[in-house]
Amino acid sequence: MFKAEQIYFEYTQTAEEDSAPANYVALNGVDAEIQKGEFVAVVGRNGSGKSTFAKHLNALLSPTSGTLWVNGAATSKEENIWQVRKSTGMVFQNPDNQIIASVVEEDVAFGPENLGVEPGEIRRRVDGSLAAVRMADFAKAAPHILSGGQKQRVAIAGVLAMRPDCIVFDEATAMLDPLGRSEVLETVAALNGEGITIILITHFMEEVVIANRVFVMNEGVIEMDGSPREIFGQSKKLRELGLDVPHMTALAHELADLGVPVSRGVLTVGEMLFELTAALKL
Amino acid sequence: MILAAENLTHIYQRGTVFEKKALDGITMSVPKGAFAGVIGHTGSGKSTLIQHFNALLEPTSGKVWLDGEDLFAADKKKRKRLREKVGLVFQYPEHQLFETTVQKDIAFGPQNMGLSSDEVSRRVAEALEWVGLPKEAAQLSPFELSGGQKRRAAIAGVLAMKPEVLILDEPTAGLDPRGKNEILGQIKKMHESAGNTVILVSHGMDDVARLADIIFVMNNGRIEFSGSPAEVFREADKLAKIGLAVPQVYLLLRELIKRGADLPQNIFTAEAAAQAIKKLYEH
Ligand SMILES: Nc1ncnc2c1ncn2[C@@H]1O[C@H](COP(=O)(O)OP(=O)(O)OP(=O)(O)O)[C@@H](O)[C@H]1O
Ligand SMILES: Nc1ncnc2c1ncn2[C@@H]1O[C@H](COP(=O)(O)OP(=O)(O)OP(=O)(O)O)[C@@H](O)[C@H]1O
Ligand SMILES: [Mg+2]
Ligand SMILES: [Mg+2]
Repeated sequence: MFKAEQIYFEYTQTAEEDSAPANYVALNGVDAEIQKGEFVAVVGRNGSGKSTFAKHLNALLSPTSGTLWVNGAATSKEENIWQVRKSTGMVFQNPDNQIIASVVEEDVAFGPENLGVEPGEIRRRVDGSLAAVRMADFAKAAPHILSGGQKQRVAIAGVLAMRPDCIVFDEATAMLDPLGRSEVLETVAALNGEGITIILITHFMEEVVIANRVFVMNEGVIEMDGSPREIFGQSKKLRELGLDVPHMTALAHELADLGVPVSRGVLTVGEMLFELTAALKL
Repeated sequence: MILAAENLTHIYQRGTVFEKKALDGITMSVPKGAFAGVIGHTGSGKSTLIQHFNALLEPTSGKVWLDGEDLFAADKKKRKRLREKVGLVFQYPEHQLFETTVQKDIAFGPQNMGLSSDEVSRRVAEALEWVGLPKEAAQLSPFELSGGQKRRAAIAGVLAMKPEVLILDEPTAGLDPRGKNEILGQIKKMHESAGNTVILVSHGMDDVARLADIIFVMNNGRIEFSGSPAEVFREADKLAKIGLAVPQVYLLLRELIKRGADLPQNIFTAEAAAQAIKKLYEH
């Protein structure tokens, strides 16, 4: 689905009125290959290049050097941009900024209308997309009555209506309450189950657990690449990179250090409960 | 009481089809020197409520008391003086950052307080360090920062004023784990040494449970209930019904207790939980 070969990206930073513009290298030689249907979580400290990388995946940005191929098409070629934008959708942090129409179903129809899809097909796509995010009951509703989690699911439906192969979530759960967050994550997992490639950028280590693969970015490169268990097994390195392990993994380390026999590989409350039920003979 | 709301109601866009009663008769008070948490589902009215505390929004009806004064009955001059006691970090940093450089943005508040330029530079340098922004970032435009760096700059601008009442609206959204720990730690440290009042609005149940001594739970424009972390999280079912949850450590302990483990329920950090479990294990 994606193949990045030594991509570099420089921003021009021109803040001070009288100083000369300086270049800032935000991507510093990214190599990656992501297969169709994968679920990749991307973590990394603030400024490590996650959003910049994400914007390359749907050609909002194009590499200063190096090449990114999306389904075999290089994003740096003008003639491929349309195809690339269609194949990869994005969902962002602020639920209030992503919905423009005054009726939910019109908002979802917006994308396919822009693509010139014929009306009957638009109808099918809107209904199908809203059903997929379990928002069909709100088709005629005004977006401002929705909760944050519901708004994010409408935004996802809007992306789905474009029939993408991949959806990139750039901290899409950062502003949601616990229920909204779990609704969105369930939706994300279900879409992945239907074969859609998922790239989930997040600062919540608990969310990373549901991915198949994790990229840890640092200073513009992918510094670590592995399964959640492999990555969270290296807590010292993660902390050096400004990150952390999930709460339950941290607790497992504390317990193991204190001599309570639990595996340090624990990631979730369920797993911890299992370990402790045995250790405490409950 | 440093801060109180009395029967506070706020209706947005009154008389239009978008009319929305965002606050519905809120009565609450925050003791001086408290670390208060505010939790509630998206759209429950948290941001609307706290924007009344520094007079960014005016009540449709009801009152706001700040340090013993009726904020909206005060004349202009007095209201300005009262507002200066309150520092508010907005939910979206883009709504807060407006200067051409990060340096100027952080200096704006301290300058307005009439501090000397030496003191302003000292405060800016100190605030940059508190939020973990490198010195070079100070010369950048806020729009050239990543999401989490913007958030840090916005927090720095408010911390630099050392306000008597510090209000933070989702301050950790977008921060990396280390930044979140360090900045919350810094806020806690300032609170303990300066004795200021802090109001933390957050969807992070773990953080609120760990930091706050009183929690207000909002639901549909009302305060559903309030109390200490132990009192609030005891209502796990009620919380779930209104879109909230209990902290993970709390949940784990609850499940262990249900299975017969003799453990205390009111623990909100991994360290404390580990100690309690160890004691039981060795017993
Ligand atoms: N300018 C506005 N006009 C109309 N309605 C508004 C406006 N601002 C907010 N609202 C509505 O008022 C209600 C309360 O919003 P508020 O932003 O205070 O909630 P919140 O608890 O801070 O939510 P979140 O957790 O998403 O930040 C919501 O239903 C919101 O849609
Ligand atoms: N529009 C811009 N102009 C100039 N520099 C930028 C711009 N956007 C980002 N940068 C710089 O590029 C670097 C990477 O930014 P990016 O937004 O990709 O980080 P990120 O990993 O998404 O961080 P965060 O976790 O804070 O969202 C940062 O150091 C930032 O200062
Ligand atoms: Mg980002
Ligand atoms: Mg809010």
